[in-house]
Amino acid sequence: MPPSSDLLQGTLDLLVLRTLSSGEAHGWGIAQRIQQVSREVLQVGQGSLYPALHRLEYKGWIKAEWGDSENNRKAKFYSLTKKGEKQLAAELENWERLSVAVALVLKEA
Amino acid sequence: MDTLRETLRLWTTRLRMIFRRSDTDFDDELAFHIEQETAQHIARGMSPDEARRQAMIAFGSLSRTRQHSREVSPMHWLEIFLQDVRYALRGFSRSRSFTITTIVILALGIGATTAVLSVVDRILFRTLPYTHADRLVSVGLVHSMETEEFMLGGFYYDWRRNQQPFEAMTSEGAVTRECDLTEGNPAQLSCPTIEVNYLPTFGVSPVLGRNFLPEEGRPGGPNVALISYGLWLRHYNRDPSVLNRTIEIDGKPVRVIGVLPRDFEMPRLQEADVIFPMTMDEAADRKSNEGIGSPKRVFARLKPGVTVEQAYAQLGPLFEQTQKWIPAEIRADFHLRIRSLRDRQMQNVHSTAWVLLGTVFAVLLIACANVASLLMARGAVRQRELAVRSALGASRARLIRQALTEALLLSAAGAIAGTLLAQGLLRVFIALSPASIPYIHKAQLDLRIISFTVVLSLISGLVFGLIPALQRPREDVLTGRSVTSTSHAAIRQWLVVIQLAMSVVLLTGAALLLRSFWSLQSQQLGMREDNTVTASITLGARNYSTPVSKMNFFQLLATRLRFGPGISVVSVSDSLPPADGHDGVRYGEIFVSGRPRTIGGEDVVVKYRLISPDYFRALDISMVQGEGFHEEDLNSNDRFVVLSQRLAEMLFPSHDAIGKRLNFNHVNNPNAPWYTVIGVAANVKNGGLSGEQMPEYYHLRRNREEDWAGHGVWGPTSLIVVRSSLTTDETAKWIRAQVSALDPTIPVDIATLKQRVSKLADQPRFATVLVGFFAATGLLMAVIGLYGVIAYLVTQREREIGVRMALGASRESILRMILGRSLRLIVCGAAVGLCAALGLSHLLRSMLYDVGPHDPFSYTIVLLLLAATGMMASLLPARSATQVDPATVLRSE
Repeated sequence: MPPSSDLLQGTLDLLVLRTLSSGEAHGWGIAQRIQQVSREVLQVGQGSLYPALHRLEYKGWIKAEWGDSENNRKAKFYSLTKKGEKQLAAELENWERLSVAVALVLKEA
Repeated sequence: MDTLRETLRLWTTRLRMIFRRSDTDFDDELAFHIEQETAQHIARGMSPDEARRQAMIAFGSLSRTRQHSREVSPMHWLEIFLQDVRYALRGFSRSRSFTITTIVILALGIGATTAVLSVVDRILFRTLPYTHADRLVSVGLVHSMETEEFMLGGFYYDWRRNQQPFEAMTSEGAVTRECDLTEGNPAQLSCPTIEVNYLPTFGVSPVLGRNFLPEEGRPGGPNVALISYGLWLRHYNRDPSVLNRTIEIDGKPVRVIGVLPRDFEMPRLQEADVIFPMTMDEAADRKSNEGIGSPKRVFARLKPGVTVEQAYAQLGPLFEQTQKWIPAEIRADFHLRIRSLRDRQMQNVHSTAWVLLGTVFAVLLIACANVASLLMARGAVRQRELAVRSALGASRARLIRQALTEALLLSAAGAIAGTLLAQGLLRVFIALSPASIPYIHKAQLDLRIISFTVVLSLISGLVFGLIPALQRPREDVLTGRSVTSTSHAAIRQWLVVIQLAMSVVLLTGAALLLRSFWSLQSQQLGMREDNTVTASITLGARNYSTPVSKMNFFQLLATRLRFGPGISVVSVSDSLPPADGHDGVRYGEIFVSGRPRTIGGEDVVVKYRLISPDYFRALDISMVQGEGFHEEDLNSNDRFVVLSQRLAEMLFPSHDAIGKRLNFNHVNNPNAPWYTVIGVAANVKNGGLSGEQMPEYYHLRRNREEDWAGHGVWGPTSLIVVRSSLTTDETAKWIRAQVSALDPTIPVDIATLKQRVSKLADQPRFATVLVGFFAATGLLMAVIGLYGVIAYLVTQREREIGVRMALGASRESILRMILGRSLRLIVCGAAVGLCAALGLSHLLRSMLYDVGPHDPFSYTIVLLLLAATGMMASLLPARSATQVDPATVLRSE
């Protein structure tokens, strides 16, 4: 199953940002959470998750810090920055508009 | 505050990501991920081993994830580029000879082209410092004795009034006289005279002050002048208050009304320090100069859209009118000529410049072909390496990028070396260049030209560097059999043929020029040049205004010089052979007493020289018949003439010339005196080194005012020849001392007769040296190319050679096989080159002396040279072919 190829370009970024808006998480945690919340429909592959995380970090939307995981292992935790919060808001709005538009076309065209 | 910290943090993160060298941080993160995944699987009841295996499968390729998350950084591209550069440099250091050869060839190509183009650009394409210079023309009459356009006061005014094609017409005095600045630091200056509308016609306005006003060109106008920027700088330290100051020229007060721009030049390129307005008194001018009016050089600005040809046609009626005014005997000799200012300035260096341009493009072509061939050879050799890299996962794009990087690096190195070389070459060219090539001393390396050549070499590098990279690496290369594409080898052989052909063309040009130069140098001039020192002395117009004062000066000087130690002969004359340019008459104008006028011969020029009795002895010119002039003739009332053998044969083919009476100016002046022939002198080269032998006669400059009256440019100048047993330096010092004892302000130009003769050969020498240099460069590169191809051929066929030898082929037959291959290329190149050279060499015709453009000797030498160097270059790889050890080669299979 190729997990991420089904995701629209840019959608993964939105999902990651939205996931992190409810609190910091490590890479594995983010993938798990997206999978759970989407009821196993969206599976994020590592091959796209980590490049996406690094891209977001480079853009300054998220920041990374080393911390201890639940089972006391060293893990890299990602959290939203202020810029990231703004970006999330903007992208959510975008997404709303887009999905409404797509839905309209699907129903009425 | 918070945002500041966040920004700061962001930048440290970015920098860390950009310059991250190790991946441990990232690996830790991924390891954690896999551990979590494994823990989850175990929690679901898998065995630990299976759980880990599943986690790894789900994760996929570690390195690919690593790679992808790296490409996030924009510096990734730079990183790859630097990697390519490092890789390329490693490759270059492994194949040094390839790298050095390529860079040297690129440097030669770029350097030579840039240097020559920089020079030629100044000569052929420089912008003239006038507005709309393309519409400026030189217009006037020419005849066999004056081949530069001129007009006379007798008809100039009619032309100026009635002409159609020009917006404006203007003139300068035909002679730029010397004048003396007689205040402060006295100096001899060049002082041309121009019409008041001269500068506006050329679109020149002074940097300081104003142009001449119309009233300043009328008779009785004020004494005003413009000064050059150079004089302003040298003499007045750029003091703006020089404006309206009155300076003293030739003892007369002159008011300075303006300073000319720094880049101003007279259209005939002569010196101009102080410029005077020409007084335009039409009535007086028409009567002056024995009724023909003063000579002028006339320039004009074409109306927009009018071509030179149209202007020529439109001036036809005016020319016809003027022809009626010219004496019928010589009318047919006069022609109308209009040509662009640029053509006038560049008249005889044109062909030299074009030949150089052609030569240098040929060299550039050879260089490009050579570099292409080298890169292709390298590409072929690296096929296996490319296949390995491709098998290890390098993408096509990456391989192509690598090839581009290498080509770029080589071109950059070649460009740097080439620019340095160009700088050096340019200095050499300038040092070698004769003074007769205008503006070469201002030649500079031109950035446009450098970029042009660099781009050209880059393109050739790219195109041929890409061919191997673009081909799909073939898997069978990896099997260990050495497979090499034969199509490359074929292209390379063609490239070598082209190079050889081009160098044949270059060598032919060089050989022809060299032969011509040789015959120019070794020709019999008809005089002896050793142990003679000459001095050219021009007397100022102010201190030596009368013929008697000039006569006295030179007589006194000659007497003083004669008393020097070791001095055997001193002669004074108005000019010296073999230079062209001194005065002459038309053959048809010479009258022989008791014979009707010779018909025809209007366009044959007979040169004449005013000499002192010792002239023939000083130059060691022998008398064929009769005798030369004697000391006592100096004070005689009789007029004697000595003819050159050529003239005597023309005038008196079957009679004895001695005792005949001749008149040289009967057409213009019925009262002209008659001369008695007393001798016939051997012919002396007198029309320039490469010019034809012209008939000539000699007059004695007696101790009489009329013989020293002088006229034209040559009037105030005399040449002294001193033959002595002293060294050149001692004689020169002696002459200087005697001149300065008489008048310390007079400049003396001293040179041996040999130097004066050799100076005339400057231009052919320049062309010969340059073309020779390029031909040598071209041959060298072509031979390197040939060597490369043959050497490559040998490594390619090593196994075949081994097999042949194992089967009993002798070393001689292997040698013959390789040399035969090389000979085939040489013969092809020579054949193509020979055809091209035969077709192109006529372009050199105007530069050749005493050698035809199809001179068989030159062609033979070129072919022999090519064959010899070519075979020598292929001998090396051919020998190494014979050293192939069959056992080693066959075992490596």
